[in-house]
Amino acid sequence: MLYDLGRADLRIKWLVTCLLATLGVSYVFGALMVSLYAGFTPERVAATYGGRAMSMSMPPETTMVMEHPMSMAEFAKPEVHEVDTNLLIQDTHVHVPMYGVIAAALSLVVAGLSLSQGWAVTLITLLFSAPWLDFAGMWLTKFVSGRFAAVTLIGGWAMGLGYLAVTALAIHQMWFRTRGVDR
Amino acid sequence: MNLLLRGATIAAVLHITPAVILVKRPDAVQALLPGADSYLAREVHLSDPDAHRLHELVDWSPDEGVLTFYSGKAGTTGVGVLTFVRVDTPHGPIEVAVGFSPQGAVRGVIVTKATVEMKPWVLEAVGAGLVESYRALKPGDVPAGAASLAGHAGNLAVYIAGEVDKGVARALAAYGTFYNAHVRA
Repeated sequence: MLYDLGRADLRIKWLVTCLLATLGVSYVFGALMVSLYAGFTPERVAATYGGRAMSMSMPPETTMVMEHPMSMAEFAKPEVHEVDTNLLIQDTHVHVPMYGVIAAALSLVVAGLSLSQGWAVTLITLLFSAPWLDFAGMWLTKFVSGRFAAVTLIGGWAMGLGYLAVTALAIHQMWFRTRGVDR
Repeated sequence: MNLLLRGATIAAVLHITPAVILVKRPDAVQALLPGADSYLAREVHLSDPDAHRLHELVDWSPDEGVLTFYSGKAGTTGVGVLTFVRVDTPHGPIEVAVGFSPQGAVRGVIVTKATVEMKPWVLEAVGAGLVESYRALKPGDVPAGAASLAGHAGNLAVYIAGEVDKGVARALAAYGTFYNAHVRA
């Protein structure tokens, strides 16, 4: 095989290791952002992406005004971070291309691993399908049902699973497997 | 496997646009409705024609077609009204609190939220005197915060001032057109 990370030049192995480490750091900070702005449960993801849109009612025939008293405590209530349609359009526009680049970078690492074609194709499919699931879940949560929050979580878990699988295999094959490899 | 699942969860919502609270809502309420000891929320549910009218005026549709105003009283004396307006920008959303005096003029403007990226631009704009330019504006007036900063603040501060201008224009239009619509208790 022409492209084999297990037998690659030290510089290439180091490059791949640094890439994986950098992506790992970004994933850790991603987790912090999740904890700050959304959450790790389907309920919180549904509240973030479904929000009030899920309970959207028809506009009244004539403009209606309603009043109710407010206390200062109600102003201080923690707000749910809501991602409305405009923000989701922006998030999709900004992040899906970057997810594609990350999936492509990890797929290039997969292509250099000693794996059967079936496993390699499976991993590459996982790397690309995970972000699709992630964003599909958000859109479905917003416009179909809050139950689709689980799809977003599955997509996120799949992204992490793909990253960890590729990283574990690459680090093992590049640095820990001995078979007359030129290190 | 546990590690894998944790790592996967970590990646779940990497796409969230990070928002920063610059001023907490209770602090904004106290600043814009000074001395108030009781508050009332007034929700204006816009009909389609009214929502269209507002959109024509300021190119804006509020979330779910509902405008929310908060009025404050000190004892039995009204001290004013405020509303929170969100402006979506290519860099994420900002939230602007606009307070009105009992005479219907702008008492003050506070940028309550921005994204991590925009926070320094907002701080520079506010530090350069952005919010002073909105004082005493009345419905029908055109906010010109960006113009007031041009030449003595950075380009990004001027840019964000333009976005705050949009928020103030929306608040002026919403307040002027719909605040005194018929109230159902």
